[in-house]
Amino acid sequence: MPTPTRSFRFPWRSRADIARDVDAELGFHLDMRVRELIAQGHDAGAARRMAREEFGDLEGTRAYCRAADARSDRAVRAADRLTEWRQDARYAWRTMRRTPTFAAVSLLTLALAIGANTAIFSVVRAVLLRPLPYADPGRLVAAMESWPGNPGNSTPMSPPNYVDYRAQQRTLSDLGAYTTAIGPVVWRPDNADPTTLTGIAADGHLFHVLGVRPQLGRTFDTTGDTAGDSSSVVLSYRFWQRALGGDPRVVGRRLVLDGRSLDVIGVMPRTFVLDHDEDIWLPLDLRDDLARPAITRKQHWIDAIGRLRPGVTVEAARADLGVVAHRLATQYPDADGGRTAIVTPLHQLAAGDLRTPLVLLQAAAVMVLLIACANLMNLTLSRTIGRRQELALRAALGAGRGRLVRQLLTESVLMALAGGALGVALAMAGTRALLRVDPAALPPLFPVGVDAQVLAFSLAVSMAAGALFGVLPALHAVRTGVHDVLKEGGRGSSAPRSGATLRRALVATQVALAVMLLVGAGLLIRSFTELTRVRLGFDPDHVVTAQLRVTGPRYDSIPIINAFYDAVLGEVAHAPGVIAAGAATLLPMQGTISTSLRIEGQPADESHLPDMTYVAIRGRYFEAMRIPLIAGRRFDATDTPDGPKRVLVNETAARRFFRNGDAVGKRIRIGPNPNGEWMTVVGVVGDVRDAGLDLPPTPTLFVDHAQEAWQHTLSMVLRTSDSRAAIDALRRGVKAVDPATPLRSIQSMDAVVGSSLDARRFALGLAASFAGLALVLATLGIYGVLAYEVSTRTREFGVRLALGASPGSMLALVARRGLAWSLVGLAFGIGGAVTGARLLAGTLYGVGPLDPGTYTLVAAGSLAVVAAACIVPARRATRVDPLTSIRSE
Amino acid sequence: MARTPSELLQGTVDILILRALAWEPMHGYAISRWLDARSAGVLSVDGAALYQALHRLEERRLVSASWGTSENNRKAKYYTLTAAGRAGLRTESAVWKTYAEAVSKVLKPA
Repeated sequence: MPTPTRSFRFPWRSRADIARDVDAELGFHLDMRVRELIAQGHDAGAARRMAREEFGDLEGTRAYCRAADARSDRAVRAADRLTEWRQDARYAWRTMRRTPTFAAVSLLTLALAIGANTAIFSVVRAVLLRPLPYADPGRLVAAMESWPGNPGNSTPMSPPNYVDYRAQQRTLSDLGAYTTAIGPVVWRPDNADPTTLTGIAADGHLFHVLGVRPQLGRTFDTTGDTAGDSSSVVLSYRFWQRALGGDPRVVGRRLVLDGRSLDVIGVMPRTFVLDHDEDIWLPLDLRDDLARPAITRKQHWIDAIGRLRPGVTVEAARADLGVVAHRLATQYPDADGGRTAIVTPLHQLAAGDLRTPLVLLQAAAVMVLLIACANLMNLTLSRTIGRRQELALRAALGAGRGRLVRQLLTESVLMALAGGALGVALAMAGTRALLRVDPAALPPLFPVGVDAQVLAFSLAVSMAAGALFGVLPALHAVRTGVHDVLKEGGRGSSAPRSGATLRRALVATQVALAVMLLVGAGLLIRSFTELTRVRLGFDPDHVVTAQLRVTGPRYDSIPIINAFYDAVLGEVAHAPGVIAAGAATLLPMQGTISTSLRIEGQPADESHLPDMTYVAIRGRYFEAMRIPLIAGRRFDATDTPDGPKRVLVNETAARRFFRNGDAVGKRIRIGPNPNGEWMTVVGVVGDVRDAGLDLPPTPTLFVDHAQEAWQHTLSMVLRTSDSRAAIDALRRGVKAVDPATPLRSIQSMDAVVGSSLDARRFALGLAASFAGLALVLATLGIYGVLAYEVSTRTREFGVRLALGASPGSMLALVARRGLAWSLVGLAFGIGGAVTGARLLAGTLYGVGPLDPGTYTLVAAGSLAVVAAACIVPARRATRVDPLTSIRSE
Repeated sequence: MARTPSELLQGTVDILILRALAWEPMHGYAISRWLDARSAGVLSVDGAALYQALHRLEERRLVSASWGTSENNRKAKYYTLTAAGRAGLRTESAVWKTYAEAVSKVLKPA
């Protein structure tokens, strides 16, 4: 019996191949049987019939065998792929180890680029992509009202309007309300010092709208706005764990909060949060406000959230609430004239200011990655050209083109994956370090971190990057014919030409991207310096601040509150080092409260009363802040709590509301009541950047807190030569007057001002480092390309020098090439920046998106850097020794 | 050893084929002739069952196949026992022997 040819293995077969093979095999069997039967004496026809009959189910067998073969072929193919991939991976690993510098540079580049993308994406995911911690959060909308006649500016609702909206709307399944403006809540535990808690007042409708089940107990009920829940409290998971030890029987316990004993009725789950890190939720009691709608309809402080009914769009809800707004405007022209309803998807609102910077930062990170890919593409291209001998040899030994491309791609993708892994580690470490240094850098409602989704993103980015920088060089490498390369012998004299255009196009692209990033970062830096140069209008140096709030049933009348604050300020004013001590209800940069204004002798348009920022002050506030007095006088001993009402205004208010800015001696009325008490303006003080560094001063009214002491929270302001001693004195003073009252938010005024710049500083730091990284990568790219060209053309340079070319002309020859392509890139980059900078327009301050200074500086700077990158390899070309270079080949 | 009858029958054909190939590589027709001859016609397996079994065994990598030339100079598909097939034959034979002994013990007249 002959031995079959074992060495032959089935190549991968098509379906038709398989069918043919099976038919041939079965046919052979039948033929053999027929032949045997004929040999036994049967005639041909009968033999065929018998053979078929003996065989059994021929069709079924045929189908069975084909299916089985197809399956086993597939298995073989998969196994082959895996083996091949293992070979490629092992080969890639060996290649990488043979060229450690190349590997290190590539890994570092990839780690930085992918790390940047991962870090930004982890924030983007948390802020823009992750659902809010409520049931079906996509259906939640925030409902607000507009300023009168200004539908672009939103303000919270007023209590009576909120109740009317809730009753009259048709598109929401419910509308709920909360407010963060209740200030700190003082908790007096049975046997420990009082502590302050952050609390939010919310109604039962709100919990119903958000649809989150409490972990224990229940939330407030929705039976009415004056529900029986007024003496109850719901706890956050964090507070329950931290302060109450996670007591499982906490529901039914009583806590003394702000001097009142409240029943704990529930605990919310760990993830639930409304604003950020609040400890407790108190029932929002609107009874007093609803009893006086004439006044309270103008007081806008209710944050409302609604849930869209099934099938209702945001637009429909907007239209529906618009109808209610119109009705209210007609019904109450004084309070609601010109106002409309503003309905925004809740997530959009929560991400708020962060959306634009985050999108821009992610775009910048992607550009850095593209530059990195261009660099690596260049490196890989040079390297594969250097490896053409090896590749040609492999091809000659039977490796197909596809196989070679796969092998080269495996190398780049593996490199990218390794770089990506390093990048993720970098991103995790970086984010953690950032949050440790500056916990407030990111909004706390959004938990930022690297999780499965972020990892999947990084993996996809790494693979894509590997394929991107690997595919062109790989295709390029196998395109050149095997024979040409082998014939060349080791000389590679034609090598530098191949891929030259591609490499130079890559240089141009890199420069263009880097220039765009530099322009963006430059504009942001200019804005930032402009902002820090803004004249604040006060002097934050050597000023410390602390919040002080009187609570509890003791402080139920204005004289008692006045006595408390007068005593504390009196104690502190005489402490060593204290130069001036005062207090205000709101400090600059901490938000504003507005009131409407009527001026004696000026006709008032009742539906469009002007608004003023309202601040109540005590003691020597202006002296402590060094806010100058422009005209008239400050508050003094002649102003008594029960005497005639005196007020001060700032310059902006004086200019805007009084003829010739002449406000002193004029009388005004504030608040909604057209017949309220007249107040006399006794002085004008300097403007202060109160609403934010990048916003103009608002017209402001200062009242004497002693006359308006119903505001229980004051920020103490101390100008002092020794801030530590001043805070100690303040503590002692408070303790001496009422030991149960805590101090909180102790910080320097510099910090108060600085925190308004924090978000900008954070984004700016990132943008600037991305741009710097981009420039470094692009420079490396240009340097690499030129250095490579020089190294492969030493022979040519040798000849040129031998023929008498001057070193200067050689320098020009090489540098010109690099510079020419960089200039092309620069032109494209400036063009791109002009287009892209418009996206930044909303983020810029004091500088236009086309600021010529920034563009010139970036152009000049990048040209200088590029020129430096060109000169170094060019000088090497001039130092070529003609003799050695010609002999070397 | 809990097997349904059809599995048992398939198993029977499988083990017979493996045993046949333990001798030398063969094509399907030769296997059927070998089985006829070895069992004096008692264990003749029809073509359908034989080829289904062969392809099944190939899928399970117990045998491998290659095209070769038959004794009368025709292209034929030859099957060879793989290492896994050889191991399979050993364990299955042991199982079968135990089974057959048990059955004959039960069937033996008391």
